[in-house]
Amino acid sequence: MISCKEATKFISQKEEGKLTFHQRWQLWQHLAICAVCRLFNKQNKVIINNALHLHEYNDFRLTQSEKESIISALEKG
Amino acid sequence: MSELNATKWVSEYGDMLYRYALPRVNDSNIAKDLVQETFLAAWRNYKNFKGEISEKNWLFTILKNKIIDHFRKASTRLTDILPGVADEDAYFDDAQHWTMVRAPQDWNLDTDAPIERKEFYEVLQMCRGKLKEIQNTVFTMKYLEGLESEEICKELNITASNYWVLIHRAKLQLRECLEKNWFIQ
Repeated sequence: MISCKEATKFISQKEEGKLTFHQRWQLWQHLAICAVCRLFNKQNKVIINNALHLHEYNDFRLTQSEKESIISALEKG
Repeated sequence: MSELNATKWVSEYGDMLYRYALPRVNDSNIAKDLVQETFLAAWRNYKNFKGEISEKNWLFTILKNKIIDHFRKASTRLTDILPGVADEDAYFDDAQHWTMVRAPQDWNLDTDAPIERKEFYEVLQMCRGKLKEIQNTVFTMKYLEGLESEEICKELNITASNYWVLIHRAKLQLRECLEKNWFIQ
């Protein structure tokens, strides 16, 4: 049986299809009996699904003078 | 070639590009420079712009390349201090199973839908800010930019085993920080 440390690492490797058949089987077996790693697995998905939206929820802006300095750099070519 | 208008361009796309760059590079001066370089590169190469994609997507493609370039240049400074194998051990006991205090708790989420709350992303930013810079860089390249691990290793000049340790550690830390500061307060 693999450990929780290995199982959580396998979860990231599985995302990229980096596990062998045997490792996928080991992970499946581990998750079948380990509720804590099942939580980790679920929460990992929540984190990576939400990370993609990070820039949609900020309202950072360039100041007018920062914009003007970019514009003048462009006009100089 | 249509006539270019610098003022129109910058007012139309400037903030959009900046909002994308800043949470990735986490430094407002670097983000501003990358945005300016993006506009300059686009301006100088406008004759090569074929209109196959929108002007906006074209600018984003240039910006994304600039962001990866930035990470590549920063990597020589960041990879001096790569983590040892013992780095994650605080989360796990001697048998490498979760320790009671650091084990994930149930977040009681009933949906997979994105969390449409500005405050959540502020907490996520704060938690990313607590990662080591190299961990945050790897996390950003993988989960914000969507690069494959091989590409990230190549750009940052790290080994695959370094990479998996860094991403594993980043996720353990982020998960715990989000749990404490958002999901279970």
